[in-house]
Amino acid sequence: MKQFIQFLLKGLAILILTMILLDVLYTTVYMQSKSRNKISYIFSSKDKDFDVVFLGSSRVNNHFVPKIFNDQGYKTFNFGITRSRLEESALMLKLMVENNYKIENLILQVDLNINTNDHSEAIRSLFMPYFHTSKTIRNHYKDIPEYNKLLYIPFYRYLHYDARVGFREFYQTAIQKPTNSLDRDGFYPLMTDKRPMVAADLSKYYPKKNKAYEEIKAICKANNINLIAMTTPMCMETINRDYFNHINKVYPEIRRFENLVTEDKYFSTCGHMNKGGAEKFTKEVFNLLFKPKSKP
Amino acid sequence: MFFNFFIMYWFVGHKSKINQNYILILASYYFYSCWDWRFLFLLVFSTLLDYVSAMKIEQSKTPFERKMWLWLCISINLGFLGIFKYYNFFATSFAELLQGFGLTASPILLKLILPVGISFYTFHGLSYIIDIYYKRIKSEKNFVDYSLFVSYFPLLVAGPIERATHLLPQIKRRRKFNFEKAKEGIYQIVWGLVKKVVIADSCAIYANEIFDNYSTMNSLSLILGAIYFSFQIYGDFSGYSDIALGTSKLFGIDLLKNFNYPYFSRDIAEFWRRWHISLSSWFRDYLYIPLGGSKGNKLFQVRNTFIIFLVSGFWHGANWTFIVWGLINALYFLPLLLLNRNRKNVDAFTLGFNIESIRILFNITTTFAITALAWIFFRSKTITDAYNYIIRMFSDLHFSEQYFRIERYSHNLIALILVFVLVEWNNRNRIEPISGKYSWLKLGLCLAAIVALGVFSDYKEFIYFQF
Repeated sequence: MKQFIQFLLKGLAILILTMILLDVLYTTVYMQSKSRNKISYIFSSKDKDFDVVFLGSSRVNNHFVPKIFNDQGYKTFNFGITRSRLEESALMLKLMVENNYKIENLILQVDLNINTNDHSEAIRSLFMPYFHTSKTIRNHYKDIPEYNKLLYIPFYRYLHYDARVGFREFYQTAIQKPTNSLDRDGFYPLMTDKRPMVAADLSKYYPKKNKAYEEIKAICKANNINLIAMTTPMCMETINRDYFNHINKVYPEIRRFENLVTEDKYFSTCGHMNKGGAEKFTKEVFNLLFKPKSKP
Repeated sequence: MFFNFFIMYWFVGHKSKINQNYILILASYYFYSCWDWRFLFLLVFSTLLDYVSAMKIEQSKTPFERKMWLWLCISINLGFLGIFKYYNFFATSFAELLQGFGLTASPILLKLILPVGISFYTFHGLSYIIDIYYKRIKSEKNFVDYSLFVSYFPLLVAGPIERATHLLPQIKRRRKFNFEKAKEGIYQIVWGLVKKVVIADSCAIYANEIFDNYSTMNSLSLILGAIYFSFQIYGDFSGYSDIALGTSKLFGIDLLKNFNYPYFSRDIAEFWRRWHISLSSWFRDYLYIPLGGSKGNKLFQVRNTFIIFLVSGFWHGANWTFIVWGLINALYFLPLLLLNRNRKNVDAFTLGFNIESIRILFNITTTFAITALAWIFFRSKTITDAYNYIIRMFSDLHFSEQYFRIERYSHNLIALILVFVLVEWNNRNRIEPISGKYSWLKLGLCLAAIVALGVFSDYKEFIYFQF
């Protein structure tokens, strides 16, 4: 039995050593990456100046065309990420502030995402390679149940979130396979229209006070960032559009732009506009809230 | 918890077989209750039924009485299995049949959860009863020992289906710790985990995507889907068996081998001697041979062959897809039976640079291909889906790589599968590939593969737990 216990301990030592080596290897590779996704971009860039930054989910990623702002003399970037929720947007903003970004205006999508205080597991994964390096990320996640495991068990973060930062992503990062997430200043246009369009059903949605949104408001206030929170368009067939009226009961400051684009031809799906819709919407937003700058 | 039982077993209970057996029963019932404690009563009832019936059969004074106890026990066991597993299937199938004749029927369906492992422990108990009836063994008088035989946790939920002649003698003697055996057990568990979390679960991601969206897939993706599922089910089930056998070795008990590198079979008969061996041999010994086996004329043999393949398919689940899967395998087997070639490939083989080796490799590839084709029925939700899948596979004829909604290319897994096949091929005469020379290095590589290549965020329960 003594021999067996020694054997088990040796095996355990090999396992721990393997996990440490893999953790170092994966982290090193991810740290070298600057452009696989918007989070790695924020993490690896410092001292950026932006007139306007867009944050939110796919309803930002597919809806705001920075070029339209840039053509008017503004420096903008679309940091919207498909599937992200306000919790991830808040952390992205914290990282921007930590990396000394100077942001004048933040356009934040606040509509369907205040139906819940939940997070996106898929997007949370993308922060994990920086978990040990960034105090901001650690602090942001200090209350999640996996916190101690993420902090103290080597490689646990890559194992637990293997779908997004596991071997496949590690390999593609290592070979520096390019992605399109930073093309067009972060805007990803939807080119195909799915027909027949299936109506989005918001009958079970109800806006609630959102912790991450409150956090974003506080960060903006502390860093002199002009926060413009707004809703973005959804097709007119949406069930329970009354949801948007309730948003202002919870947060009166949120600007209501869900009706800025209404025609079906501008929608790829009920919740996402196509390229034409995005351009029309961005122009409308620009005209309503900004004025052209004289180019230097 | 498992570690606690292991410590108790070897440090507290090691002095007597009685203590060891009590600890194993406790572990087994705890293990089973972790799935669903409500079905413990079924397990206890099944144990009691078989225990009492075996003694009654033995004590019977007339052949009629023996037979009566045998059939009573079989009927109750199969009755439970029938109610829990097959009732809804028969009820809906009957209603559909009536609809075919223009009659309407609304069958009363039962909202029952299938007790985990019921197919396994029922067959487990039946083999014991039948062996008693045919006087192959004596009935077990010690209820604790018999309970452990039925409920022993490594094999409780997904086999292997043990035989009393093999397991009971081991239960009846005190186990002494054997370092070599325990080490072998650990290697087997680690290799089982590689098969499950690296191979099966990775294949599952692709196979699910392809099978769930087969109507949008091209020929190449559909072929890959069939291959991925073949490796998913093999990695999943043989991985579980390895973990079960390895775990049991840690407690000093050897279980029956359940897989013997089935995808290196040269014909379908050999495949069935290497795949889920404990179930195939169960059907051979308790169904095929009692039906007459290979005695009698060819027609008689063909009938028996079709019966065991159809029953085997039906054993897997209450769906016509499983029955058709069994039927297809029977059809594959038929030419071998008619040409008396079903026992042609029973010997081991070696490859060299000669024509014979090319022939062997060709036969192995062909056997794998037809097996993968049959698995399409096993995996599909309905026969229509399986049929359309196969038709599309042979009619689409586009062989470009496809990018899936799950953000992966169709061919991404091929390299991993090829490495796995090579490792298995090089170790096909051994239980697992880790032991032997450089075992620490190989163990390290396997552990690295598990943590780096394993699928953890999308956990999938073992497929055979549902049977």
